Amino acid sequence: MSESREHKTILQLEQVSRFYRTRGNVFRGGGRLVVALNKINLSLRQGEIFGLVGESGSGKTTCGRLIVRLEEPDEGRITLGGEDITHLKGKKLKDYRRQVQMVFQDPYQSLNPQVTIADSVAEPLITNKLGDPLDHLERVLKVLDTAGLSPSEDYVYRFPHQLSGGQRQRVAIARAIVLEPSLLVADEPTSMLDASYSAQIFEILQGVRDNMGATIMFITHSMASARYLCDRIGVIYRGHLVEQGPAEQVINAPQHPYTKALIDATPKFGRSSEVPTYGTLLAAERPATSSAGCPFFRRCALAERLLCAGTYPPWHDVAPEQVALCHLLQDAAPAASSG
Amino acid sequence: MENKTVQILKAKRRALWRQRFMENWRVFMRNPLGRIGMSLLVMFGLMAVCSYIPPMIDPMYHPMTGVDPKVVSSVGPSWQHWLGTDFMGRDIFSQLLAGARVAFLVGVSAAFMSVVLGTAVGMTAGYMGRFTDTALMRLADMIMVLPTLLVVLMLAALFGQLSIWMIVLMIALFRWPGVSRIIRAQTLSLKQRPFIDAARVSGASHLRIIFRHIMPNVLPLAFLYMTFRVTSAIVIEAGLAFLGFGDPGTVSWGMMLQWVWKTGYMFQAPYWLLPPGICISLITLSFYMLGRAMDEVLDPRLRDETQAG
Repeated sequence: MSESREHKTILQLEQVSRFYRTRGNVFRGGGRLVVALNKINLSLRQGEIFGLVGESGSGKTTCGRLIVRLEEPDEGRITLGGEDITHLKGKKLKDYRRQVQMVFQDPYQSLNPQVTIADSVAEPLITNKLGDPLDHLERVLKVLDTAGLSPSEDYVYRFPHQLSGGQRQRVAIARAIVLEPSLLVADEPTSMLDASYSAQIFEILQGVRDNMGATIMFITHSMASARYLCDRIGVIYRGHLVEQGPAEQVINAPQHPYTKALIDATPKFGRSSEVPTYGTLLAAERPATSSAGCPFFRRCALAERLLCAGTYPPWHDVAPEQVALCHLLQDAAPAASSG
Repeated sequence: MENKTVQILKAKRRALWRQRFMENWRVFMRNPLGRIGMSLLVMFGLMAVCSYIPPMIDPMYHPMTGVDPKVVSSVGPSWQHWLGTDFMGRDIFSQLLAGARVAFLVGVSAAFMSVVLGTAVGMTAGYMGRFTDTALMRLADMIMVLPTLLVVLMLAALFGQLSIWMIVLMIALFRWPGVSRIIRAQTLSLKQRPFIDAARVSGASHLRIIFRHIMPNVLPLAFLYMTFRVTSAIVIEAGLAFLGFGDPGTVSWGMMLQWVWKTGYMFQAPYWLLPPGICISLITLSFYMLGRAMDEVLDPRLRDETQAG
């Protein structure tokens, strides 16, 4: 799908890092730095759906929060359409957020329980002073229809607790797209929902991309939904981006051991054997001798002790547009490793 | 948009708020505490309203200045004076009615002021965090440990007789820390909720987040604490008045108790002693019961428990 569009970069993350300090102070053994994101390089192309896949705690949500600037990166640079937005403040930040919106993971928590649906969805319009209340209402009705809540007249004057989880998530999506943003960050929008709702949410997101031309960053822990929805995928492990490439390619021919482990972990319908396809995940973690080595060393079944434990792996162009961060791919020619 | 759709939507909006109110009202009234508290309160409300009637019938029923010329000392209940008269011939029943008015005035205004102050401080401390939080909460701690009645007594001794509004102000100024602690805790937890992040992404300013997103969520709690504050304000005012530091220009229940005690009728005139005492107990009880029933409206987890028990 991405071939038909020109590869215009809309959002770029350059060497972005984010650290958290553990609670407590020096006397209680706290205050250690925890790396949530380590020197991430990413670029999102205009009009694509980019999937960021990783296990919980891998830093994928942090990455989304950095992009909408709920948090500030400690290092590196984020640019939107060439403009540096890393440390925006005040009015400029507000203007930036007109272009970049977010859908949160938990629809039960992301809507204010004391605010009606109409007011929740109109919030971005009100804060940005776009039109009068009647205009707001009109746009709210339209955008609720777009998000699949129709007839929207029945939903506007309700409180969140009167809606189901799927309906709430549609409201959250409606709120995110009411300003017609150019970039939408969707942080696991379906992880709290039934599978049947998930497919509908995916359709809405696809519709947002196709009809509004928005670029979507889709954060997920599920390879299956990433495959269903995304044009390109980035795999993130403990704050390190380890593989990136077109969705089909990454899933059919994963190169990085962690990506392979993720695909092994995907439940497969109707297959009785428990034998993993790749078997790259170590059952028990092995101790790492130094922190300088490969981030996946402790759990990688293929790792070579000297090489992987000691030095940080380099990026390899393993296939057209597909890159992976691994020592072991060094010798593999791009075509040979697809077996 | 056509006018008709707008009309329909406006009707829906009204219906939503009405439905919400009715739901809460139903839960409230299903609770026996709520029913008793509400009816007691309605009774006291009627008393306060009716306090204007006796002086209109006859000037001798004026609670403060009206004296029955035929009476020289305290007499018991009669047709003329339903609850009897005090030592100089003033009607006790009309004093009791006037006392209800003062109790409401003191209770509600002191509670309102302390809750407004407590909520403002609590939300500021909780939302701003860091230094502001520490400073405000230490201040709250300092005021919280002061025994209100004692401090107000000392101030009254220092400045002579306090007017009723000064007393209200004092109570408000000394009773906000409890409210602010609770509101702060609530604000701290609300601040972490994703809908605040969502509001930030929507472009809401700090002020808008505080007033539009945090305040509606803490207001029910503040309102709940107001009912408990009313109770304590009434008790403090009654205590002050009984000890002789009340506003000499108002007839409050505490004042009536002081008169009984001071004139030595404490054990001779139960018709004079009991009514104000009972009224103070009942009005504090009714506000307390109101608060308990409201607690149930605000916290759905309490509902099943009551139904089972």
